[in-house]
Amino acid sequence: MDFSFTEEQEMLRKIARDFLATECPRDSVREMIKDEKGYTAELWKKMAELGWMGLIIPEEYGGIGGSFLDIVALVEEMGRACLPGPFFSSLIGTLAILEAGNEQQKKELLPKIAQGELISTLAVSEPDVGYEVDALQCQAVAEGKEYIIDGTKLFVENAHVADLIVCASRSKDSTGHEGVTLFLTEAKSPNLTCTLLETIAGDKQCQVIFKGVRVPESSILGQPHRGGEYLKRLLQVAAVAKCAEMLGGAQQVIDMTVDFVKERVQFDHPIGSLQAIQHHCANMMIDLEGIRYITYLAAWKVNEGLPFGKEAAIAKAWASEAYRRISDLAHQSHGAIGFCEDHDLPLYSKRAKASEFAFGDAQFQRRFVAQEIGL
Amino acid sequence: MDFRFSEQEEKLREEVCQFCHEEPPENFPCEIEDEGYGFGGWSRAFTRRLGEKGWLAIAWPKEYGGLGRSIMERFVAAEELAYHRAPQYGHLFGDAVGAGIVRYGTEEQKKDFLPKMARAEILWSTGLSEPGAGSDLLNTATRAVKDDNDYILNGQKIWPTGAHLAEWCLILARTDPEAPKSRGLSTFLVDVRSPGVTVNPIIDMSGAESFNEIFLEDVRVPKSCLLGEENRGLPLVFECLEGDRFWGRCLRHAGSKKDLEELVEYVNQSKYDGQNLKENQVIRDMLAEIAVELEVCRMINYKAAWLLNKGDSISWESSVVKTFADELGQRIANVGLQILGPQVQLRGKSKWASLRERFTFLYTFNRGLTLAGGTSEIQRTTIALRGLGLPRS
Repeated sequence: MDFSFTEEQEMLRKIARDFLATECPRDSVREMIKDEKGYTAELWKKMAELGWMGLIIPEEYGGIGGSFLDIVALVEEMGRACLPGPFFSSLIGTLAILEAGNEQQKKELLPKIAQGELISTLAVSEPDVGYEVDALQCQAVAEGKEYIIDGTKLFVENAHVADLIVCASRSKDSTGHEGVTLFLTEAKSPNLTCTLLETIAGDKQCQVIFKGVRVPESSILGQPHRGGEYLKRLLQVAAVAKCAEMLGGAQQVIDMTVDFVKERVQFDHPIGSLQAIQHHCANMMIDLEGIRYITYLAAWKVNEGLPFGKEAAIAKAWASEAYRRISDLAHQSHGAIGFCEDHDLPLYSKRAKASEFAFGDAQFQRRFVAQEIGL
Repeated sequence: MDFRFSEQEEKLREEVCQFCHEEPPENFPCEIEDEGYGFGGWSRAFTRRLGEKGWLAIAWPKEYGGLGRSIMERFVAAEELAYHRAPQYGHLFGDAVGAGIVRYGTEEQKKDFLPKMARAEILWSTGLSEPGAGSDLLNTATRAVKDDNDYILNGQKIWPTGAHLAEWCLILARTDPEAPKSRGLSTFLVDVRSPGVTVNPIIDMSGAESFNEIFLEDVRVPKSCLLGEENRGLPLVFECLEGDRFWGRCLRHAGSKKDLEELVEYVNQSKYDGQNLKENQVIRDMLAEIAVELEVCRMINYKAAWLLNKGDSISWESSVVKTFADELGQRIANVGLQILGPQVQLRGKSKWASLRERFTFLYTFNRGLTLAGGTSEIQRTTIALRGLGLPRS
């Protein structure tokens, strides 16, 4: 049993924490919420220079060949810094290519991703579908050596700045068997419309409408009509990575709150000396401890290639609600000052909400857990 | 990061599992029934049997009757026993006192007590709380007055679990009433059969008979039974409690796993209001939520076990363990009763009667767990002060 990160991972965490503290101060996070693009090319370039976009990519494809736990360590720090921009969404697209892509696709795309020159994202949810893969409506119909995609994808993160959108669509093979196919679609394809949505967190989520978008057969990621199982697995990995980001955010929310209640004086004493506040903080800590170890357990299983579906669902179910409780108590402890638009706390509490939905909220995850426990 | 147990730990787990199959724990008579939080019932016979296997003192030094193995191995053995609902309650308090003797005891005390405890020849309870000193142990009023080579103890203790079944009790008493409250307390190893000791069982709201009150009237305790230094009893007790908070609650995930499995089985087979329970989305969600929380509980417990195993303090982590486990226990009982329906009120012989009775018991008994061994409020204050460095009030 070992709950610690390796020395190299601790180093990576420290470098990330220091780098983001300097390069991604909260004022710039707030600026990026108002900015349409949502990140600066300058920061993106620096992150690429640190090798972050290629961290999970094997060396043979121009990456660093890091592990999933390395990614978890890094993403946790990004969550702590409330990093804006397409790193996370592109990571999920990258994972899709890594797992399902053929040799040619990998050779062509991964080196560019590692250099920070290509941004990808994953399009799953729809107006009436969350992450229930079998309920997807978006259709892809074969026509010669092409497929024609029709449908609307919602909450596609950073699609407005992506080069590639991995789109999950229903499709049928020649025998009439229906399944899901993943397509690597060019974001600039004709008949593809991307609209940036206004969201509470100011993160960049988009609606992407496919209206007769033609894609070549060669753009299929993995096996045609057999992508459903793979997509479920990808969503579970994504959920674990999201938990790591939430963990970092939740830690920052607690640190911020503890600092505040030690300083804030009422009734001649710091309010942190009052039991009502102390117990709020303790409750936050208990929830955080829960997020931390259940996330690490799921991440470790992904890392080791062990079955991880149940743990991923459990981690995301817990983190989704625990992070929300943590930010609720943080607001209560901060009092009115935390209610202000330009305070740091709302950056996190709004992100907590967005994260709760990403890759399935607690109820969605528990539906899966219920099956896993034999119901 | 690695969440596997070592080969040696797995081997011990396998041995314990094998043992539970060969000598089913439910065949041993219990003096106190299973209270449902992982430790099972209080069974002198089973505790003796564990003593014969050497499993009561896995992590104690060999020269005092222990196996000299790791804390993680001790944890793994306890966890495996908990999965089998084995009655481990009889040695729970001996664990805490044993840790105190290993750390603070004189050579004579170690030789006198530890080997006997390792064989379950003597069982322990702990007498800390008093009518006027619950969460506030500093308020301890029981007096110990020096008399040549003895101390004379007078006072009243309340809530010691199993004091009516144990031979010995760790008693916290005031030795210096003039000193500041925290500096005048000492701990004594008291033979419950000594003249002047009266033990009266208290029946709790779940009907269980595990708590007691102890009256001490001019009880003569030899100086050799003072544990640690005179007037330095409080840090010792806090350290014992820190371990006790962990060891007393660290098996919740294992013990309650079976409760969840039985509820799932019930739901899969039952109907209510014309609907199969397993098709009821609310019920499915409630049970899945318990499954999520048990897994989170397991990891929180593992983290503290890992810290302990490498010799680190778990001063606030043990409070997280305890609070999470105890409150989860209440939620499980609550969910169980909601699912099992109004018939939980009945006692009977129907197929699910024993499941219902168990959950009704859990529902009432779990009320007490957020109080015993330090209330959840005290734990939260500990987390805030020690874990987060908030200022004292």
